[in-house]
Amino acid sequence: MNGDFYKDEYTPQINKIGKITGYLGVLVAFTPAVILAVVYGIIPKPAALLTAFISGSSAFGVLWFVEPISYFPVVGPAGTYMAFLSGNISNMRIPCASMAQVAAEVEPGTEKGSIIATLGMAVSIIINVSVLTIGAILGTSVLAMLPDTIKVALNYLLPALFGALLVQFGVKMIKHSAIMVVVAFILYFAIGMGVFNWLPGASNWLGTLGCVFISIAVGISTLSNARKQA
Amino acid sequence: MDVMQIANGLPMWIACGIPVVFVVIQAVLFARGAYRAGRKVGLTDDKMKKAMKSSAVTSIGPSIVVLSGMLSLLVTVGGPVGWMRLSMIGSVMFESIAAGLGTSAVGVTLGTDVMTEEALGMAVWTMILCSVGWVLFATFSANKMEKIEHRLSKGNAGTLTTIASAAIIGVFSAMVASHISKPFYSMIQKADAPAQTSAWHNMLACILGAVIMFVLSNVANKKNIGWLKEWSLTITILGAMIITALV
Repeated sequence: MNGDFYKDEYTPQINKIGKITGYLGVLVAFTPAVILAVVYGIIPKPAALLTAFISGSSAFGVLWFVEPISYFPVVGPAGTYMAFLSGNISNMRIPCASMAQVAAEVEPGTEKGSIIATLGMAVSIIINVSVLTIGAILGTSVLAMLPDTIKVALNYLLPALFGALLVQFGVKMIKHSAIMVVVAFILYFAIGMGVFNWLPGASNWLGTLGCVFISIAVGISTLSNARKQA
Repeated sequence: MDVMQIANGLPMWIACGIPVVFVVIQAVLFARGAYRAGRKVGLTDDKMKKAMKSSAVTSIGPSIVVLSGMLSLLVTVGGPVGWMRLSMIGSVMFESIAAGLGTSAVGVTLGTDVMTEEALGMAVWTMILCSVGWVLFATFSANKMEKIEHRLSKGNAGTLTTIASAAIIGVFSAMVASHISKPFYSMIQKADAPAQTSAWHNMLACILGAVIMFVLSNVANKKNIGWLKEWSLTITILGAMIITALV
C-alpha cells in the first residue's frame, strides 16, 4: 500500500511541483533585468551581451548538464528540482540532506530516505536565504567590521565540513571509502597537474563526476560479488 | 544618477526580492508535500522534526561562508543583485566570473574600473543568462533520470540504496581530495607562497575535520551520549577551524 502511495501519488506530485516552479523560476530570475530596462532604461547592446554569453557558456556550459547528472544519484528528483534553483549544492544542500537522514535514522535511496532528504534540503534553503537576507540588509559596513582572524578562519569551514562528513558516511563502508579517497586523490592530482586540460573546463566538473560514478560502479560490483557468494 | 544608487535603490530591492521569495515558496511547497508523504509512509513527526533541526544546524556554518563571499558582490553589483544571485542558482565563484565577463564585454574591469550603467546591465543580464542553463536542464531531466535509475537498478531496493550511499561517498571523497591534493600539485608547480600556505591550511582543516569527527562519533556511540551525537559535527567544524587558524 505504502509503495503505491509513493509511486502513484507522491512522485507525480513532486514532478508537477518541480516542473512548474522550475520553469517559472527561470522566468522570475529575469525580474531584476526587466526592472533595469523598464525603470531606468538600461538595456545592454545585443552584440555585447552575445559576446559575454558566448564566453560564459563556453566556461560553464558543460556544467549545466554535468552537474545535474553528477548529483542526481545523491539528491534524487525532488532534490534536483530544489538544489538547482537554489544553488550552493555541494557546500550546503547535500551536507544538510545527508545529516537530516542521519538524524532520522533512514537509509539513503529508500522512500523514507528521499522524503527526509527533501525536508532537510528545504530547511537548509530557508536558513540560507534568511542568513543572506540579514547580511544584505546589514550591508557591507557592518560585515566589514568582522575581525580578520574570523574571516581567515571562515576559509577553513568547508574543508573541515567535508572531512567530517566523509568520516560520518564513510565509517559504514570503510573499505569502499578508503578506495575512493585514494582514487579521488589521484584524479584530483592529475586534474591539478593539467593532465585533462584538453577537456574544456575539466577542473570544474571532472572530479565530482568521476568520483560519483566510479564510486557507484565500485559499490554495485561489491554488491553483486556479495550476492554471488551468498 | 550614480550607478550604485540605481543598483542599491528600492526598485532593485523589490525586483530582486521576487526571485528570492520564489525560491522560498518552492522550498515550502516541497517540504509540505514531503511532510504529508512522510506521515503516510510511516515516519513519525518526531523523526521528521529531528531531521529538520539537524539540517538547520548544519546549514548555519556554510550559510555564513556564502555570506562572507557575498561581500565582494555587494561592492561590485550592489546589495540587491548580490543577495538575489546567491539565494537563487548561485555560487560565489560562478557569480563573480559571470559578472566580470559581462562588464568586460563593454570594457569595464569588475572591481577596478568605475561601474557604468551599461556595465551594470551587462553584469545582471550575463549572470542570469549564464545561470538559467542549470535550472532548465535540471527541471527537464529530473524525472527522466529517475526512470533511468530505476531501469538500471531493476527497481531493486538494495541496489538503489547502494547507488545512493556510494554516490554520497563519491561526492565527499571528491571534495576532500580537492583539498588534500592541492598543496602537492601547487608545490610541484611552484605556486606563489601565500597560495601554497593557504592550500596547506585547507588540507590541515580537512584532515582535522575527519580526525575530530572520528573521535567524537566513536565516543558518542560507545558511551551512548545523545547530545554529543547531535552536536559532534558542529563541535568538529569549530574545533578544526580554530586549530587551523592558530597554526
